[in-house]
Amino acid sequence: MNKIDNINYLLYMKNKLPITRISKFFSQTDMDLNIQLGEEYLHGDLGMRLVLFRVDRQKTDTDNVYGEVGKDGIKFYPPVEFYGLVKIQEPKNNSYTKGVNRYLEPGNMTISVYLKHLEEMRIDIKYGDFIGYPESEEKIRYYTVTNDGKIVSDNKHNMFGFKPYYRTIDCAPAQEFEFRGI
Amino acid sequence: MGLPKRKTDIKVFGVSQNTNNFVIGRRKELLEEITKSDTFLPDSIMHDDMDLGMLEFVKENFKIVSDGEELPVIPKILTIQRWSEFKNNWNFSDEDGNMKLPFIAVVRKPDVQLGTNPSIQRTIPDRRDFFYASVPTWDGNQMGADVYKIPQPVPVDIGFEVTIVCTKFRDINTFNKKVLQKFSSRQSYTKIKGHYIPIILERIENDNSVSESMDNRRFYVQNYSFTMLGFLIDEEEFEIKPAISRAILMTEVESRKLKSSNKSNLITLNSSYGDGSIIATYTATSQYKVDKTIEIVFNDVIETITGNSINQTVRLFVDTNQTSGTTQYSINEDYTNTTGYNTFSGVTINSIGKSKYSYSYEIT
Repeated sequence: MNKIDNINYLLYMKNKLPITRISKFFSQTDMDLNIQLGEEYLHGDLGMRLVLFRVDRQKTDTDNVYGEVGKDGIKFYPPVEFYGLVKIQEPKNNSYTKGVNRYLEPGNMTISVYLKHLEEMRIDIKYGDFIGYPESEEKIRYYTVTNDGKIVSDNKHNMFGFKPYYRTIDCAPAQEFEFRGI
Repeated sequence: MGLPKRKTDIKVFGVSQNTNNFVIGRRKELLEEITKSDTFLPDSIMHDDMDLGMLEFVKENFKIVSDGEELPVIPKILTIQRWSEFKNNWNFSDEDGNMKLPFIAVVRKPDVQLGTNPSIQRTIPDRRDFFYASVPTWDGNQMGADVYKIPQPVPVDIGFEVTIVCTKFRDINTFNKKVLQKFSSRQSYTKIKGHYIPIILERIENDNSVSESMDNRRFYVQNYSFTMLGFLIDEEEFEIKPAISRAILMTEVESRKLKSSNKSNLITLNSSYGDGSIIATYTATSQYKVDKTIEIVFNDVIETITGNSINQTVRLFVDTNQTSGTTQYSINEDYTNTTGYNTFSGVTINSIGKSKYSYSYEIT
């Protein structure tokens, strides 16, 4: 590991504890290379762009008993575009009451996003935030985050057991009463 | 614009000389508390008020300290809005966004059942309004009163689960002691807009799945189920109706007496009739003496034997110095009247029916 890599590495880890595992086969440089290649594919080739609407929890006024807000009552930070790998499940054909009052809603969306990308954008995706995904030129569908995937300790989210490198974010379709989009 | 309503002493039912003054004083104090606003009426009590009442009850009565820090109570009744849950928890959250243990949460069961409070269940059918208070009003000109009526409150049973999530058995014990002490008399009360609402402790359950887990994180989750025996008071159902209005009417009265030649009557009628046939001319002579010009109005109805009736109004003007006058009218073949100036009548015509008259006079 050369000097520059070592500095970057320490900055990334906030100078707490250097990760030296599997150093015989893998390093921060290798990881950065992999992420760079992945981002080129994801951001450049695939170009799956999403819009994040972060709820401003400080400025949003809620009622004093339930913490709810009415229609269009949620305050947001400015929307931010980001890239991720999007998987959307099949639509759900269901009913509200025992087979009647049928509804069809889009399936849940799962987004995989590089941690590095989020850090560069200086954004965090939190439980309850809203994400817009342009389904077509005319239609953007909005989802709410049901699992922000903050915990990335598992093997799947670690690159060869070296360090975590992406988050998986689960989203459910947003209802109009909570977010109507733009 | 009306003046602000004045709050007066609202009568308390059952007050008598023999009643204990302390009891009456306390009842008036309670009444004062539920009518704090200027409207005289009690404030509405709806679901959210009772939920807030339960939250306040828990915050006030179930404070426990663990390792020198008070256990936080989630300040809101959490609902399905995800971001809201995060907003209300984030003060107690760790860097992963999870709530730090220990904490206390209040969960409202969404289904609110018709109440079982014995004092108010199934006593009065329908939503009839009942007298609540009579309140004086004054709009600057007119004094009156409004009658306030309200229907019987709707009893409701609201289920709550107060959950303590912690990692120490001592915290469980402390919390349990607090709850049992508070509910040693089966029920306790929370005060909602001046009303004391009873809360009953139903059961205490432990979620063993997490505390007995071998492979997962271990902590204690203990649920205390409560039922609040509340009631709904909806101000939309209140009825306010004006009762009586007292108006100041000023009437100017002239005290001068009209003089009459006759003690019993101002006017004397002496009528003479024709030959009794249908077609006739009738004459009446009147005597009067007044000190001012008056107008006499005679209304005459003659009912004929054929069932027809003839109505006639005669207006007679009498001058101050005039003492008598003769009036005349005729009934012609068509049973219609012809009247001339200064004519009136009041006769009984045997051959064609009855006639009755009335008269009045006006000072002109």
